[in-house]
Amino acid sequence: MIGSEGCVTNGTRYIKELSASLLLYAGVLAASIWLLNGHWLAATWRPAIALAPMLPIAGCCWVILRQFRRMDEMQVRMQLEGLGFSFVGTAMLTLGYGLLEGVGYPRLTMFWVWPLMAVLWVVGGFMARRRYQ
Amino acid sequence: MKNQIKDLRAARGWSQAELAAQLSVSRQTVIAIENGRYDPSLPLAFAIARLFGMAIEAIFEG
Repeated sequence: MIGSEGCVTNGTRYIKELSASLLLYAGVLAASIWLLNGHWLAATWRPAIALAPMLPIAGCCWVILRQFRRMDEMQVRMQLEGLGFSFVGTAMLTLGYGLLEGVGYPRLTMFWVWPLMAVLWVVGGFMARRRYQ
Repeated sequence: MKNQIKDLRAARGWSQAELAAQLSVSRQTVIAIENGRYDPSLPLAFAIARLFGMAIEAIFEG
């Protein structure tokens, strides 16, 4: 989602760090699911194990924020436009669907919000990129 | 905003990547500035002017 064309070293490092964080997330998530499905875990530990995948996700957040600080001014501006598009798009779609839930549409889990925001971030970033090319 | 960066860069025989490295920005940013698609901030405009040894107003036209 965050490009850094021209800053190849930074871009490569970012991809490596983000990939490592996501792989770690997948591993911790699999371990967490395995432990939670085992039913031998004490009830007091279940919330902590369920939240364990958030640790590598925090790593992802740190990697992304670090990449923001490495960007030049135009790249930051493109990301801002992408995130702005994602922010208002997510607000419109989630609020709109919330109103539809009021008239009987099926209730959706909050897990949908982030993928929606991510997709709109990519779309917004693509549009911003086109504007400056 | 129109500017003379493309000509000034070509006169010095620099590639877009070389100019980008000297300004600590991406090549994509140099391309956008040269094409007038992106107006640089004042600090970046000053850096460009300093690099070419010219006044800002001699490089950028409103």
